[in-house]
Amino acid sequence: MNIAFLPLGIAFGVILSRAGATTYDFYAKLFLFQDLQLLWVIAVAGSVGALGVALLKRAKAKRALFGGELELKGKPYTRTLVVGSLIFGVGWGVAGACPGTALAMLGEGKLGSLFTLAGIVLGTALYGVAQRRVKAS
Amino acid sequence: MTDVIVWPGWVGGIAVGLYALAQLLVSGQQLGVSSGFGSICGACLRLPFFRHEKFLERGTSSWRLWFLVGLPLGGLIAALTSPGALTASFSLGPMYDAVLPSAVWAKGLVLIVGGVLMGVGARMAGGCTSGHAIAGMSLLNWPSIVAAAGFFVGGIAAVQVLFRVFG
Repeated sequence: MNIAFLPLGIAFGVILSRAGATTYDFYAKLFLFQDLQLLWVIAVAGSVGALGVALLKRAKAKRALFGGELELKGKPYTRTLVVGSLIFGVGWGVAGACPGTALAMLGEGKLGSLFTLAGIVLGTALYGVAQRRVKAS
Repeated sequence: MTDVIVWPGWVGGIAVGLYALAQLLVSGQQLGVSSGFGSICGACLRLPFFRHEKFLERGTSSWRLWFLVGLPLGGLIAALTSPGALTASFSLGPMYDAVLPSAVWAKGLVLIVGGVLMGVGARMAGGCTSGHAIAGMSLLNWPSIVAAAGFFVGGIAAVQVLFRVFG
């Protein structure tokens, strides 16, 4: 299953690019309310997903075609979720990219994403340094 | 900067939504990117936090690094199938270039700070735009919807300040 995620990542990278999510200025336009391209992408993607998940639940689908069980349980609420989401949002706006799109941008020759990606790895590592024990988040 | 083909937002949204569903159906795994950066840290750092099975490349978690390798290849294909030439550049496009420093090292510093905030924030929130906003909304999972709202509030605040102060 593992290497099957290489073509899946390629497909998602192409789609992110075509959706405009690898175009920095769409983030500025989104947060300045000048062009809601990326809001439409997220809102429509979430709605299509919700419709699909509802159908899967209705069909009582439990297992994936090639993997194990379908992951249909959402992420939990945590004490740091709200503050973390605000911090993430500031980074999202400043860098004009998110973790997935920064990777796709690299393939498009947008070299600024080298810095953004280094920052994401550093930030993730810093969070890990601040944690004393093993936990999922 | 490479010019890429951009579909209308709703078309892009349908494509992203269908992709996330296809990935779920094929592999059982929900869409998510930021945990893959935890896997990178797990591969190089001996910290207790990264010993969690989610960040270790084994069992059901072992897909994340392959996925992360695929994304830039996808970006490359998207660029090569667009009419313009593929160009490597540190430009971010007219709007960001107008407010960020023009020296590459200074611009890079700002982008590193942005990246650090995303790295820390994603772990504190338990996911990023793909895991919380797209996958979480698909599940109508309320903590994810709260997180997605927080992402937008943070983004609006940062960009409004950035463009008011330096614009």
